[in-house]
Amino acid sequence: MAENNVSKSKKLFTVGGLIVLALGIILYFAKAPLGLNRKIYDLPTFLIIIGVCFALKGFMSKATAESELAQRKTFGEFLANNAILLAMLVLVVVICILQPRFMQIRVALDILTQSSTKLIMALGICFTLLIAGTDLSAGRMVGLASVISASMLQTATYANRFFPDLPQVQLWMPIVIAIVACMIFGALNGFLVAKYDMHPFIATLATQVIIYGACSLYFDMPPNNSQPIGGIRPDFAQIGQMRLLSGIYQGFPGISILIPIAVVICIVIWFILNKTVFGKNVYAIGGNREAAVVAGINVFRNIMGIFILASCLYGIAGVLEAARTAGATNNYGNGYELDAIAACVVGGVSLSGGIGKVGGIVMGVLIFTIIQYGLQFINVSPMWQQVIKGVIIAVAVAIDLTKYRRK
Amino acid sequence: MRKIFILSLTFLFVLTLSPFTQADEIKIGACIYRFNDAFMLRFRNAMSAESEKAGAKIEIADGQDDQTTQNDQIDAFIADGVNVLIVNPVDRMASQPIIDKAKAANIPVVFINREPTAEMLNSYEKAYYIGAKAEESGTQSGELIAEYFKAHPEADKNHDGKLQFILLKGQNGHQDMILRSKYSVEAIKAAGIEPVEIASAIANWDKLQAMNIMNAFAMAIGPENIEAVIANNDEMALGAVEALKNSDYNKGDKDFYIPVVGVDANASALEAMDKGEMLGTVLNDADNQGIAAVKLAVALASGGDVNAIGYDITDSKYIWIPYQKVTRGENK
Repeated sequence: MAENNVSKSKKLFTVGGLIVLALGIILYFAKAPLGLNRKIYDLPTFLIIIGVCFALKGFMSKATAESELAQRKTFGEFLANNAILLAMLVLVVVICILQPRFMQIRVALDILTQSSTKLIMALGICFTLLIAGTDLSAGRMVGLASVISASMLQTATYANRFFPDLPQVQLWMPIVIAIVACMIFGALNGFLVAKYDMHPFIATLATQVIIYGACSLYFDMPPNNSQPIGGIRPDFAQIGQMRLLSGIYQGFPGISILIPIAVVICIVIWFILNKTVFGKNVYAIGGNREAAVVAGINVFRNIMGIFILASCLYGIAGVLEAARTAGATNNYGNGYELDAIAACVVGGVSLSGGIGKVGGIVMGVLIFTIIQYGLQFINVSPMWQQVIKGVIIAVAVAIDLTKYRRK
Repeated sequence: MRKIFILSLTFLFVLTLSPFTQADEIKIGACIYRFNDAFMLRFRNAMSAESEKAGAKIEIADGQDDQTTQNDQIDAFIADGVNVLIVNPVDRMASQPIIDKAKAANIPVVFINREPTAEMLNSYEKAYYIGAKAEESGTQSGELIAEYFKAHPEADKNHDGKLQFILLKGQNGHQDMILRSKYSVEAIKAAGIEPVEIASAIANWDKLQAMNIMNAFAMAIGPENIEAVIANNDEMALGAVEALKNSDYNKGDKDFYIPVVGVDANASALEAMDKGEMLGTVLNDADNQGIAAVKLAVALASGGDVNAIGYDITDSKYIWIPYQKVTRGENK
């Protein structure tokens, strides 16, 4: 019976995938003659990609004992466990009907681009969540890194330079300075938490205020006097704006460089969390701090490491934001930490520590960005967007908690 | 002992100097809410230059964004015997004590940039206000778009005679956001073009938010269907420009161009305008406001005719300095 179930679901995926794939291919060739170009846009391409993914998933799925158990879920449970994902899919379908332009490759790429910096933030903040902490200073670190890097990377001819006499320095120098500045504040976070056993909420709240003040002071230095920083050097802007493979076929907008950057960072963080002693320590400290101490883990060093690594990622995100927008103000990154925490939580990271996967965080960030982008796409009022975002967070956590209780 | 010596020396020094300043020249005491403000910096420079031209002596004090400090400075100016005060209050609603002080000393007072209520100004016949009307910044950004639309028939991309625009707004509830949003659209109507708002969003004066929002709009609506972008400030206008460049618009090709306007005339906006990425912006004219303030102050102090300084005085209290439209290059 169980085996039957597995092969059934395997077949379902394979056959379903192939059907979607076939539909995609048919539409792909039929859309031009049928005059559907302006009605379904790149839908066929999406269908082909989805079809291939499903078919592969069905084809590759292993018939192990565990997956048998996993398959034996009632339909209701399946619905409840994936409510957020399903809600998102419904929303996407609705948006596609209301505004067919949503079905464009460039929209998908744009969503991935906007997800990139958010993902980097979320990967940083997940470390602090994994030890049952939090990091409220994340957003302000983004602002700090963007202001510092942008202030030193202006063109020589710009009328309102931050440092009028600064020569054109090597590109990497201001970037490193900006990230190191963040890491210093990260070390302060870690020190407060590890040395005084301060709750991360309070420690990072204090640091957040300090960073914003310091950043504003820097931003207010004459001759800049709190003017938005502009006149960014093109080579710096390229770091956030370059598009790879653009024009490989007619109308392909190209892949933003931010996407591969985020993917690389994602892989590195996955490696750190799963394959290094440090990563195992993070989970151990988050799971049970006393046990970790007894087991001989150097909690002080690991907590310092966590906050410094996290702040390094915020610094990178800040530099990328400055490059992407070709500008910076001290207000950049305001509130990012809450978005990142929300994405982590929706992605299954537990606020009580010790539980969370990189894959889940990627999902969480994507879900959030797609919903936000989609609502903006059909011009939903920003007030409603806030309400919807809040509901998603509450529902996601509620589902998560009931799942754990059931176990 | 030494302290007393230094003190008496200073005292002597001041005493010997004072005959020179006692001369007939007009002494203006100016109070700025905070020196560390780019807009007020321009204001200060304009006032200093104009005073020199008028042969008046001006002293400018830094209120350090603290009303108590500023009140002390005003007391010091009055004690020092200035002939006229120019005040940029820290808190415009706390201007009554300042007016009372000036009235008690019978010194004229000219308020700048931050407007006391009419009731306060009316409590003293020698109290004036010089500033810009906030709604005008909106009107002029709308006019910029309307003028462009009329001069470039091809800007009406769908040839329906209407103007399909996107509005990027500042912080919700902010006075500038409300007035600029309202009056920019009204100005387009007043120019005889029917404005059609295809989308609007709150981007909190922020470049980053404006860029993300504009990205979504450009994808959803299609840049070929957008005929103008009106932003409540330059930062958001620049964010919109970055997003449009992302869709290969506003990069210099005339066929792929959407006029974008902001308000503030900050350096980044001027640069974008030079590159042809942005149509124009509106400048709060600090220079003219500074010149008018000094001219009015000098006329008041010397008993001259306030109506002869070259600026219109409304309700015998107000001088309104218009905002200025700024465009560059071929867009002019």
